Amino acid sequence: MADANLRPAPVQGPRALANKSDRGNLLRAIRMALDIESPAVRLNTQTFNSNRYRATALLPDYDGLKDEARRIKEKSIASLPELVQTLKSSIRSRGGHVCVANSAEDACRYILDVCRWRGAKLVVKGKSITSEEIRLNPVLEAEGIEVVESDLAEFILQVADEQPSHIIAPAVHYSRERITELFKRKFQTKVPLDSGEALTKFARDLLREKFLYADVGITGANLLAADTGTLMQVESEGNIRMASFLPPVHIAVAGVEKIIPTRREMVPFLELLAASGTGQNLAAYTSFLSPPLEDPPFALPGKALKPREFHLVLVDNGRMQMREDSVLRETLYCIRCSACLNSCANFQTVGGHAFGGETYSGGIGGAWEAGTGKLENARFSELCTGCSRCVNQCPVRIDIPWLNENLGERLNHAAEASPLGNMLGAASGTAPNDRSSSVSKIFFGNYHYFAKWGSRLAPVSNAIAGTKRGRLAMEHWFGLDRRRTLAPFPKETLVQAARKLEVKEQKSPSAKVVLFAEVFTNYGAVARGLATLKILRALGANVVLSEALPEGRAALSQGMIATAKSQARRAAAELEPYVHGGRDVVVIEPSSLAMFRRDFDHLLDNKILFQILRASSFEPVEYVVKLLAKTGREPRSVFDIGRSPVGRRLFFHAHCQQKTIGSALPTEALLRQVGFDVTTSNVECCGMAGSFGYKKDFYELSMAVGADLFAQAAKKEKDSAPRALIASGTSCTEQLQAGMKRPVMHPVELLAAILKS
Amino acid sequence: MPDLVTTFEQNALAAAAGVWRCERSPLAVRKAVERAAADARGIVLCDAEFLPPPLLAGLRGLAGVIPRPEDEQLATADVGVSEAFAGVASTGSVCVAMGRPLVAATSLLMPLHIVLLPAERIVERPRDLFDPKCLKGEGLRRNLIFITGPSATADMGPLVLGVHGPHRLHILLLE
Repeated sequence: MADANLRPAPVQGPRALANKSDRGNLLRAIRMALDIESPAVRLNTQTFNSNRYRATALLPDYDGLKDEARRIKEKSIASLPELVQTLKSSIRSRGGHVCVANSAEDACRYILDVCRWRGAKLVVKGKSITSEEIRLNPVLEAEGIEVVESDLAEFILQVADEQPSHIIAPAVHYSRERITELFKRKFQTKVPLDSGEALTKFARDLLREKFLYADVGITGANLLAADTGTLMQVESEGNIRMASFLPPVHIAVAGVEKIIPTRREMVPFLELLAASGTGQNLAAYTSFLSPPLEDPPFALPGKALKPREFHLVLVDNGRMQMREDSVLRETLYCIRCSACLNSCANFQTVGGHAFGGETYSGGIGGAWEAGTGKLENARFSELCTGCSRCVNQCPVRIDIPWLNENLGERLNHAAEASPLGNMLGAASGTAPNDRSSSVSKIFFGNYHYFAKWGSRLAPVSNAIAGTKRGRLAMEHWFGLDRRRTLAPFPKETLVQAARKLEVKEQKSPSAKVVLFAEVFTNYGAVARGLATLKILRALGANVVLSEALPEGRAALSQGMIATAKSQARRAAAELEPYVHGGRDVVVIEPSSLAMFRRDFDHLLDNKILFQILRASSFEPVEYVVKLLAKTGREPRSVFDIGRSPVGRRLFFHAHCQQKTIGSALPTEALLRQVGFDVTTSNVECCGMAGSFGYKKDFYELSMAVGADLFAQAAKKEKDSAPRALIASGTSCTEQLQAGMKRPVMHPVELLAAILKS
Repeated sequence: MPDLVTTFEQNALAAAAGVWRCERSPLAVRKAVERAAADARGIVLCDAEFLPPPLLAGLRGLAGVIPRPEDEQLATADVGVSEAFAGVASTGSVCVAMGRPLVAATSLLMPLHIVLLPAERIVERPRDLFDPKCLKGEGLRRNLIFITGPSATADMGPLVLGVHGPHRLHILLLE
């Protein structure tokens, strides 16, 4: 007998790694996904993503539809108990049956009872993620009922015994080749099955028989109208129509949050759902049915003719409690379109078997898992980096990063505080209730504290950080991956360096500005700050520097919300007098700027101050464009491309949060106006995403995400000469440098270099 | 601005449906269906609800038409012919209203679905059908299915047309 230790460890399949309450499962699942599932997930999600951009751009009233959909969902969730009653009576008045199931078990028991009562031996199912949530299939199968998944993706998963990896395309992680291999193995067939058509025909022929003879059809529903008892069902294959129409008994399983007041209000969702999900004008079939249907049920010879019967199973399973939870309530607005999955760089790279739990996946998945199961199951929400690319894509305007930051906070609070965490937390000014966060989170969330001391102690701190032993220690204690390059701490911070500059008094300045000395520029990229000062002053602006302060971004990204709130309040208080004194705020680091423009809405109690800061804060190049327009100067009269130290050809990568708040386009436009030949990346995020890519646990994932960006940069150069790399974010710069092994410049550094004297 | 019919045609083609303009006469309709359903072994027709019945009367004589199909025949027929309740220009969809015998079956079970769409029933966007003033508000009361191209899947890797529902959607646009 071979020694068991010599055998390679069995590769754990997705099902074994589905439960992420164990953090080890999360890390193993990331590795599994990178090794096996990544190519198919990338191809499929990126196709959905680009199709969505195209389809939503075709909707003339896209933003209006989103507002309308949001309004309807808010109203519906607010009056949900009444809507349940209205829907019940609508369906009962048509002769249908309704069950409101408090738990997954109740829902399964009811469905099982219906199947037993009707003597069902064969059940066909249309795609229903809610039925996955309640774990319906094993319950029916244990009673000897054959359950057949008829959506081809669900069929693949049933054959493979895996959980969904995507909310609308559950087998998104399967390439055609892997499906061929799976079917050949499981069905022992000699049929070649070497094309999508052949596989589809094989599955269709097998499933058509099942449809014709099924006793019960089980489907989900995308929306339910309380006034008429109408189900809206969206699909491409026709299996949901079949399951609703062919068998005598139709059972629809839907989360109770799917109810809206009227059939007429389904309208905005009709186009939004298709455009936001698969990126189509409409999916092949969008049905509006008020069952039971009038048509007689299908009866083949040998199949007894039975009257039509319809059951709606409304699943609560934690939703009514989510409704009472000010944060998780937002989740109930979700219409499960998958836009947040497809627009997420991490999701595009690993899919829902890593970035997902037993049922739900992606940005919104953590909140669904926590709400319908246990908080611990949402641990995969750590893969949400807060890059915010999903925010503008959500058709019902859910701030998904904020949901995940809150899940992060709850998970932090549920953990035991460590002595080291307590000590570092106290020293760094972490809010007391955030000190049970892991030491790594306390480190990354209080980067300002470590940077301040690193810079005070430079060059000694840099020498230590430069040694192998120093890096090993940081990896061990803080989880900071040793493969990452660390920018040295400057001996002189931006605030200190700026004090030494000679400033000419301007009698009538073109603008009054306060440059916010955020952590990343002040302690890491002083040159950027000085370049910004130089340009703004050359354009006649009166610029002062704020005190060096954290604004809360780092803490927020680690789920340390109380800490982030207190930092946000302090930064806002620092800036308030400047703004009231007529100064605009310029913020170099886009993630920091996005705090003022977006996240402060959650963090500041003073909403008026938030509105003021939002309206008066700018990215530096965005502000240069504004100043040029204000003073009526042509870009070429200020900047001379002839002085460019990097030539005329540029590859520009904008920061993820910068794109979300709409401040990336001015940079691109100005560089072109000055005369540069600019090409841009179109990846959602570079993969570094603030501190995410610095973490040992996520280094490989981060580099795998970055691979798309590196490939784009390399491809844009293929045609001829190299392009200088330009990036607006600190961590994007690090990532691009690591991937391309070349220096990367910030746009303000380039612009300062070509400033006419 | 292209007119509704042209926009409909473009978007239906983009959704992989076939669109043929057809004169509104019994003979033209018969010829068009005959051409589209060439070599069909079993054709299932459903009665007109929105079009004048004489327009479709000629179809009954076509070779392959099953006069009163049993469910067993529905399962093996290869062409379904039904009429559309409406068309939607912005999406290229045909909207079929359920309720009459055989409408559900002809629009779902056979590999080829031929659907007759009167040009005047084309609306601009899907939402128009939920307006009480549009087509007598019938869109708000009926069981409706927006059909946009043939059934399709991307679950098996590349996009495949023709899954559980029809593999081809053939729209006869009656001018």
